[in-house]
Amino acid sequence: MRWFRWVAFGWLACQAGVALAQSVSFKDPTGDDDGPGTYVYPTDAVYAPGSFDLTGFSVEVKGSDAVFTVEFRTRIGDPWDSKSWSPPGNGFSLQFVQVYIDQDHKSGSGFRDALPGINARFRPESAWEKVVLISPQGRQRLESEVATKAGPLKTGVVIPKSVRVQGRSLVATVPLKDLGGAPAGWGYGVLVQSNEGYPSAKDLLTRKVNEIAGAHRFGGGSDWDCDPHVIDLLVAPGKGGADEVKTQHEALKYQCDPANPEGSPLVEIPMIYP
Amino acid sequence: MASLRHRALEVCCAVLLVGGAGPARADLVNFDLAGRIYTKYLYRNNDRQGLVSYGNPFWTDNISGDNGVGTEFELKVFGRVSKYVSAYARLQSRFGELWQDWWENGDLNPTGANTSGESLGMNHASYIKLRGTWVRLQIPTPSWWTHTLTWGSSDLGMFNPWTIGKVRYIDRDNGKGIFLNGIVKQGLVSYDLAMIAMPKLWVGPWWSTGIGDPMLSNPFWSRDWAYGARLTVAPDWGSFTLISTLTNDVEVDRTDPDAVGSAYATCQDDLGNPIVGCQKDHAVDTFSRFWNSVTTLEVQADPLSWLSLNGLVVLSMQGIDPKLTADGVQLNQGVSPVVFRSTYGDAFRSADDWAFRLRGEFQTDFGLGVKVEYFHIGQHVNAIFGARREADVLLTEGFIEGGQLPTLNLANEFIDFDEAFVESCIGWHGATVVPSYATSFSGGSLEVTGEGTVLTYNQNAQNRDVDRVYPDFLHSDGFTDTDLYDYANTTDRGRDPRSVFRRNQDRLTGIGVLQVRTTFDAYKGVELALKGKYLWDRDWRSHLTTQDDYLGQQLQVRARLAMGLADGLRGEVGVQYDHWWEKGRKGTLLTDEAGRRVLSVIGYNDDRTRKWKAFLGLTYEYEGLKLGYRLEFLDKYQWRRPVDENQHWLVVRSKATMEVAW
Repeated sequence: MRWFRWVAFGWLACQAGVALAQSVSFKDPTGDDDGPGTYVYPTDAVYAPGSFDLTGFSVEVKGSDAVFTVEFRTRIGDPWDSKSWSPPGNGFSLQFVQVYIDQDHKSGSGFRDALPGINARFRPESAWEKVVLISPQGRQRLESEVATKAGPLKTGVVIPKSVRVQGRSLVATVPLKDLGGAPAGWGYGVLVQSNEGYPSAKDLLTRKVNEIAGAHRFGGGSDWDCDPHVIDLLVAPGKGGADEVKTQHEALKYQCDPANPEGSPLVEIPMIYP
Repeated sequence: MASLRHRALEVCCAVLLVGGAGPARADLVNFDLAGRIYTKYLYRNNDRQGLVSYGNPFWTDNISGDNGVGTEFELKVFGRVSKYVSAYARLQSRFGELWQDWWENGDLNPTGANTSGESLGMNHASYIKLRGTWVRLQIPTPSWWTHTLTWGSSDLGMFNPWTIGKVRYIDRDNGKGIFLNGIVKQGLVSYDLAMIAMPKLWVGPWWSTGIGDPMLSNPFWSRDWAYGARLTVAPDWGSFTLISTLTNDVEVDRTDPDAVGSAYATCQDDLGNPIVGCQKDHAVDTFSRFWNSVTTLEVQADPLSWLSLNGLVVLSMQGIDPKLTADGVQLNQGVSPVVFRSTYGDAFRSADDWAFRLRGEFQTDFGLGVKVEYFHIGQHVNAIFGARREADVLLTEGFIEGGQLPTLNLANEFIDFDEAFVESCIGWHGATVVPSYATSFSGGSLEVTGEGTVLTYNQNAQNRDVDRVYPDFLHSDGFTDTDLYDYANTTDRGRDPRSVFRRNQDRLTGIGVLQVRTTFDAYKGVELALKGKYLWDRDWRSHLTTQDDYLGQQLQVRARLAMGLADGLRGEVGVQYDHWWEKGRKGTLLTDEAGRRVLSVIGYNDDRTRKWKAFLGLTYEYEGLKLGYRLEFLDKYQWRRPVDENQHWLVVRSKATMEVAW
């Protein structure tokens, strides 16, 4: 029976090793929930300080699922009572996280445009194959919005089978089969936005960033769609250092051509690779 | 002439080109229009016609009813006047016109004969009304310290349900005032100052700021304002929020000879003698008819990722002038949104005007969580301008599922049969524990939530004055049936959700809830939810006799299966069973004037209620079109013999909605 114990030990060790290899964890500095460094929160009291300040992100494989955990600076509330929405929401109201995944890390392979409403692209070497939507909206609403607004990008959209609040974190569970397999050297682009239940016709449930903040609109950006509607962004090396604030600000730095604002180039976002 | 026209066209084009050469901005920002059309079908196997299951609380109003189809339209206009100034207006049609109305507008019928159908009046007209406007100035200040000044509409969401509550969705633009909001350093410090025009139809005694009060011949509402201030300091580990509000209903001095309807208009007494000191000066004095002030201090601490603590202290006071308002408790059968006495004198002598709430949340990484809450809400706490529904201040599910609010001014009207009721929690004192567990497994996920609550009541007292001071809302006994509610209680639906005072009360309640929700990855997603609830409610009522003692037990079991049927299409089916055992449910206890001796005991029969409810729901979204449908079958039997006849309901009802917004 001794050989059996050794085989069992070896098998468990291999499994643990595989799980560790498939698990990734990153930190993000606090206080950088200002996009390119100028964005401010909407003025309504529900947008509590730190609500969009990403502080951590991890992916862990559990059985046949991948569990995405996104941590924020403050406790996640539900000021708009998402459980009473039709269809019912997921127990929070404000945050909307889009996790873009570059599965092959090949330049030009995959999509470069972010989903409508983000006003950004990914760098050629970080084109994405999948995007996981961690939203307070129920599956039915998400499916409808994606079908209507995402165009060709909808083939890469993944809606988690469950999203729940855990203190300051959002925990989304995604079947590995929806991702096309287990994580292996994938790159991640984690974008923090705000859930907008009444979005503009072209925006996929995202809240706008304007020049001047409104009750329910971020400020510090542009009234044109040349500014990235990204409030916080996970950047390399993902250790939460102060240098990452500067890296984020530079990554999201945009230019609006006053003569042709709609023709201004969109910012190109980098991904983070473990 | 042809050359002249050509020349004029050139000039016009030149002017347009020059005039249009200003700074470029996106049209959607400068002038943004948003529209919405909403249609509702309501059908039930009865003969009530109307578009809202529970409409105006006056049951004779024919806006409410269970059969009909109607449509509303709204148009929102957002404008960007300049870099720092923006504006908004909402036009919306009045809801209540049935499609069968065609051109008719209403049922005003002054002559008694109405051969033209319902052409007069406006209560069934889809007239367009200006529902709200605001103009907003972003005061140019450094970006780390922003100020916004708003004139006009607000949903009042900057305060909290205990003070000035966020108004319900259908009222979201009706509240108007002047609002200053300041934010320092991304919310490290933020504040609001507000001066709000009080709604003349619900904030105050007699549900008004004077209208309908028999004491007033000339209700004066145009100078009634509420004031609010909020200060929040939010360091990284939590926040402190201090809110203080005051509602002030002003009326004219009826003894002032200049006032309309003055008792001394001629400055002479009943015998014709001049009144000393009485002199007209073309100025009218005013006094406060009713004021209510609520102050809250809330501390939120999140010291660790797995731990959250919250503490709330509330002080609520009111002043009422019996010379300017009649006693609604005495004259309106105990139906009044205020206790008829000034309470500010007791504020620092007893806990009646105070509320305390302590809440802790513990959450582990592996899905196990526990929420615990202790609460004490004084019996005189009353937020007259607090949240009326669509909010919840306690963890417990309570007696009904819709939420608990610290006000007698609840709004369980203008809702449909599928919407939850709210109940008043004034005077509640107890604790709640809510454990939960969430996990995922191969092919699905699981959530289990429980609740255990023990409740006692700060109103527990003997021989309380419910004739002149404390409103009992006529119906203080028995579990409330929100499935088959009727405002006049003509079908014995139980306690009014606002009824928190009783002449004799010595009450204790226990609540236990277990909910299991599991999802499966099959097809478009399958969800199975189970709920069980047990409620134990004991009231020894009068200590003079045991014949009026009450024991209510409620058992509720519900199963619901929901699944995606196709892209955008989701359906659900479910069944719910309720059984209530109520000993000594309702009756009359007559005592002597001092309340020391029982003269007679009438009623207090043992009742039993059984309800079966089956329901089916469908929702569909396609290209911006949203459709919804709910069908319910309800079978209720209430055993009341020998005091009253038994009752039976067999109800089939449905609601369908269609909505598009652009």
